[in-house]
Amino acid sequence: MKKQLSMLLAAGMAVSLLAGCGGTPSGTGSDSTATADTGASTAATGDATAITLWTYPIGSFGDSATVDSLIAKFNETHPEISVTVEYLDYTNGDDQVTAAIEAGTTPDIIMEGPERLVSNWGAKGKMLPLNDLWTDEAVADISATSENVVSACQWTDGNYYEYPLCMTTHTMAINKEMFEAAGALQYINEDGTWTTENFEKALQALKDSGVTTTAIVYCGGQGGDQGTRALVNNLYSGQFTNADHTAYTADSDANKKALQQLVDWANEGLITYDAAAQASDELQLFANGNVAMTLCWNASNQANYAESVTFTAMPVAFPSDDGVPELCGGIWGFGLFDNGDDAKAAASKEFIKFLCDDAQQGPESVRLTGFFPVRSSFGDVYAGTEDEARMAQFASFMQYLGDYYNVAPGWAEQRTAWWNMLQQIFSGVSVDDATATYQQSCTDAINGAA
Amino acid sequence: MASKTKAAAAGGETLTYNQGTFRNSALVRQQTLAAYLFLLPALIFFVLFVVVPMVMCLVTSFLDYRMGKPLTFVGFAQYIKMFQDPVFLKALQNTFILVIVAVPAVTAFSLWVGSVVYKMSSFKRSFYRCVFYLPVVTGTVAVAVVWKWMFNKYTGLINYVLNATGIIHENISWLGDARFALGCITLILFTTSIGQPIVLYIAALGNVDPSLIDAAEVDGASNLQVFWHIKWPQIMPTTLYILVITTINTFQCYALIQLLTSGGPNHATDTIMYYIYYQAFKLNDYGYGNAMGVVLAIIIAILSAIQFKFAGSSD
Repeated sequence: MKKQLSMLLAAGMAVSLLAGCGGTPSGTGSDSTATADTGASTAATGDATAITLWTYPIGSFGDSATVDSLIAKFNETHPEISVTVEYLDYTNGDDQVTAAIEAGTTPDIIMEGPERLVSNWGAKGKMLPLNDLWTDEAVADISATSENVVSACQWTDGNYYEYPLCMTTHTMAINKEMFEAAGALQYINEDGTWTTENFEKALQALKDSGVTTTAIVYCGGQGGDQGTRALVNNLYSGQFTNADHTAYTADSDANKKALQQLVDWANEGLITYDAAAQASDELQLFANGNVAMTLCWNASNQANYAESVTFTAMPVAFPSDDGVPELCGGIWGFGLFDNGDDAKAAASKEFIKFLCDDAQQGPESVRLTGFFPVRSSFGDVYAGTEDEARMAQFASFMQYLGDYYNVAPGWAEQRTAWWNMLQQIFSGVSVDDATATYQQSCTDAINGAA
Repeated sequence: MASKTKAAAAGGETLTYNQGTFRNSALVRQQTLAAYLFLLPALIFFVLFVVVPMVMCLVTSFLDYRMGKPLTFVGFAQYIKMFQDPVFLKALQNTFILVIVAVPAVTAFSLWVGSVVYKMSSFKRSFYRCVFYLPVVTGTVAVAVVWKWMFNKYTGLINYVLNATGIIHENISWLGDARFALGCITLILFTTSIGQPIVLYIAALGNVDPSLIDAAEVDGASNLQVFWHIKWPQIMPTTLYILVITTINTFQCYALIQLLTSGGPNHATDTIMYYIYYQAFKLNDYGYGNAMGVVLAIIIAILSAIQFKFAGSSD
């Protein structure tokens, strides 16, 4: 009897494991939750519409005090709408949203980019179309900055699932003093561009001067993978997807040549690859002065690391064979989850319009992100501010903004396949075989998304 | 008259007996009802958060259940796909390696430390219990951050020490090199798993009847004989518990992988639990993730049953 009971207990313990697999978690992790409930001013009306906003840490939109003050301003004109905010991070945020979607507890508004709002949740029917926000005036104003922004916010079904606020280009950055000491600064043009040939010369100069770690091709995860994608695509002018974003093109001759070049440089000791490092690790090493350059830089990083670096972090473009880079872009804005409540949807749209379109608040909202406005009518939002000079450096790279391919189907699967492919290539698998495996994963993902 | 009284008395006794039976059974019913009422809150939680998800997991493992797609019954297709999926097979292999290495190592090391510590004075015993239990209460994230720094290729302590002592001449990416990554994970898992077994062994060894040990020693038994014939049988239930719990925990190794390697390099540290998470939460393929969860549960149940069987037969 005892034995039977014991067996039953063991089976029970093992089977209880299943409890972790089934169903969907209803919690969304309240550790990072802060509430900016402005209901006090609305309670008197007795007719408040309560909406929720979830935001990833996009500039100061990850700071509760800043967002609280935005909501307070909004409530000056819309006391009938109360906004509750939850702050996500890039480590767990996607899991929290996924759990919320399955549990039916999604927020009304979410702030992120088209790769999530449009090609992921929008494509899966979880988002509300925002076509009414995209007036002719808005389309014209945003198109004047970049047609890519407009197309990135629109899914193939013709609906807009994101209303954008800001954008930027992702660049590299170098340790200027380290480059100067190595005599490598001469290989970078005044405008921050450089050729693949000169990039190699710079790497050699750095190595010859005793710099042990010149650049790290990090591939420990998907964080900051735009850096490695941009490096590979630019070296020999490859493209990440085809023109209509229906297929990935890592196996193009240009991309395979670039991947092989990286392996060769790693074998020669000119660069390092690290399958244990993600972009955050590489950035920290760069900030500590342990590595001569970073592949993951932008205006926001420049501001965030300004106090911790003891050298000049100089933003530069990715090297390309023709000297004309195509930089990855970042677009951030707002989307609405389809929660079946028209009143909340209408209130949410009011809040989005206030943040993005309001003549006074719009430019301020953009400044809070640390990036650039998608609306050309906003002009230089940093003019006359203490950030003017710093942002001017990055503004000069906007002319090199490349195709916004992040909206290709199967994007989430592709991201994992990408860093796995880099790991394979640097651990001895041939470029042909690794890219073939990557392409197969992407094809499966595209077919699965169809 | 006398007989009437007797009969009445007899009847009265019978009545009294029947009333007692009635009262007893009523009391039992009342107590049972009260017990069930006390159990009810826990039972509701158990049903809602354990039984229902378990059933949902099993059911959805037979469905094509992906975000934004209609639910479709696919039978055993996901189970078949699983055993044709090279990443799952690699994760299965890595998980078994972890279990085969970590479980015996944790059990043996804990027994050794417990054997040494339980004889110490109360103060020293408490001290060592705290020391070895510290990684358990520290939290996986904090532990992972420290180990990540120690294994760091560029600024890590391990490379620094090995370089300084001349054992290596070039920094190694411990967590980024397929030759070392799983070994490093095993080592970290080992350090975070030994706390509870050590505490349990110290308690179990302290409860071994000293008169039996004295008697055996008087009879000339060696230390090994005393351990094998006196202590070992008495701590067998503890050993069994440690084996089962450590096996289950090792099979469920997820957080370390997520925090340190994301399954890399080149799937060298993928485990089943991490792959379940990846399929369900990264790719939103819940049906496939749940099918893997079912298979993992079956594997753990079988292994636990084997452990009980062996431990039972050695009694």
